[in-house]
Amino acid sequence: MVYIVLFLQGISLIAQDLSLPVRDTWSFNTAYLMPAHKWECGLYQPFRYGLSNKFEIHANAIIFPLIPNAGIKIALGSRDGFVFASDHFISSQTIFMNVVSREGIGGLIAPEFDFPLIIAISNSFLVSKPIGSESLLSGSAGFVFAFRGDKPNPQSTIDLPVVYPRMTHSYEGITIRTGLSYKGAFSKKLFYEEGLQSFFVTRSKNNFFAENSGSLMWAAGRTIRIKAGYILSYGKYPFGGHWQLWPTIDFVFGSRI
Amino acid sequence: MKVGSILKTVLFSLQITVISFIIHSCEMPATGFDDVEDAILYTKDQKVDAPKPDSTIRIMTWNIRFGIGRGLWAMDACGNRVIFSETEILEGLNNILDRINIVRPDILLLQEVHINSTCSAYIDELRWILEHSYFNYAAYGSSWKAQIVPSDGLGRMDECNAILSRWPISEAERIQLALRSDQGGLVRYFDNRHCIVKAKIEIPEFESFYAVNAHTSAFATDDTKYQHLVEFKDVLDNIAQSGNRFVAGGDLNTIPPGSDSTDFCFEDMCSDESFHHPGDDPQHKDGSNYAPEADWMVPLYTDYKCAVPLDLYQSDQQAYFTHTTRPEHFWDRTLDYLFTNYRWRDGSVITHQEFLYDSDHAPVSAEFALEKK
Repeated sequence: MVYIVLFLQGISLIAQDLSLPVRDTWSFNTAYLMPAHKWECGLYQPFRYGLSNKFEIHANAIIFPLIPNAGIKIALGSRDGFVFASDHFISSQTIFMNVVSREGIGGLIAPEFDFPLIIAISNSFLVSKPIGSESLLSGSAGFVFAFRGDKPNPQSTIDLPVVYPRMTHSYEGITIRTGLSYKGAFSKKLFYEEGLQSFFVTRSKNNFFAENSGSLMWAAGRTIRIKAGYILSYGKYPFGGHWQLWPTIDFVFGSRI
Repeated sequence: MKVGSILKTVLFSLQITVISFIIHSCEMPATGFDDVEDAILYTKDQKVDAPKPDSTIRIMTWNIRFGIGRGLWAMDACGNRVIFSETEILEGLNNILDRINIVRPDILLLQEVHINSTCSAYIDELRWILEHSYFNYAAYGSSWKAQIVPSDGLGRMDECNAILSRWPISEAERIQLALRSDQGGLVRYFDNRHCIVKAKIEIPEFESFYAVNAHTSAFATDDTKYQHLVEFKDVLDNIAQSGNRFVAGGDLNTIPPGSDSTDFCFEDMCSDESFHHPGDDPQHKDGSNYAPEADWMVPLYTDYKCAVPLDLYQSDQQAYFTHTTRPEHFWDRTLDYLFTNYRWRDGSVITHQEFLYDSDHAPVSAEFALEKK
């Protein structure tokens, strides 16, 4: 068993040692980890820190006071050019839901609702494969479920694209998430990413969502990167099927790359 | 060509195509409107035979308060509830449908109808009424539409003025009324955008006519409501000047000239409010003091025929009251009207005050004279 772990760690290190600018600069959302003792944090992208070449911890820092959350990504090694990892994440949306359930401005949920403690756990499996020397294809599959008391009232949801699919498990059902992303380089500093993500929820209605995101990513300096693009979403919401296109922007700071 | 380059090209082309297509059809956080744009039309799949009218048809206007009856809604009536369940809304809609079936109007002007809104259990109320009633056609224009109203947990909102008809609607417009100028930009962005809906009704063997449905601002503290009334009359003037007939009505949110009571601050006051006392700010409750509006309706009464003529109203005002904010009280003021530039059948007007708990407004109906081709 020890030999297997050492072997997996060995090939994991080898895989991460290969030079691949898009991976070194934009490893979020892939099976690659932050290198040991390196960190990065975006406004929206989670804070990530490489504990070692085997483990990465991460958390969404900005929303942490309202949605306490923490996760760990574990390198599982590589085989035939495929790199594997698993991701495990715990969060609670209860404080956020109770804060925005209020009268007046800022009331995203009607004040008549109170929410019990809801703890969500997400587990996912990631795989990445470099394609040539400039791009990286990644896939993920996982599920999110929640421990809670009574089911919250289904009319207490926040019916917004991007937000609603990420809160469904707090109300009813288990969310099965799959994703595919392709990252590549236009130049040494300019990169792009296209992604698809789907959410199936184990319940009878309002149970399917899909997102397509695209970004241009600029490594503006050794410690700051900027990404901007769009997210196009479709979903079956309580009010019916709905398409939405939103712009996205994020600033990512971190260790020198 | 390398696989990466092909993928890059395909993805880039796909992005541009998809974004171009979607960007024109996507919804903003709150929906703005053109000054005049097409209203949205609904048609019933299984149509009900429309009767051949003799010489008149009945027109009714009703602010249905999205089916919550006299519910304690937080936005008015000193209530504490924002969200109503599907059971409550369907019960309210069934009550409204029962009343409609009693009066049997041929053309129905509705205000505060919700389309898939959070607070009314995501029910398309107009579609529900159309499918469950004898009407075949409907046209609506949204007066408050937002993906999410980030206040009080209102959530998704689509409130509208609607016109329902037994006979075909040949054209329908949504006409934007002035936006309030007494609100901050962000509040105004997510708040009501009051409107008029105008539809042309085609009845075989009779001259076509326009139905016009308005809902003016209730709570503006500037001159927005006055502007709405001027804009409403402009629409009617344009129809009349083009030689056409109209029936027009709605919740105009102001009282008739010569009303005995003009200040309802005490009637509308919530337990934690105070008005009219030294130091009270504001002195009057928003939307409850009609004293400065005493003559705002005069031009409409002067130029057109109200279903309840002014002398009739002034002879027995209580008999024509159509609104109250107090959940358990009888009607205490008149806010709902029907006008025409042609003729109402004498004695045909009814203020349906007996429908006391189906909304915070009573419907008003009258028989409109048709003109043979």
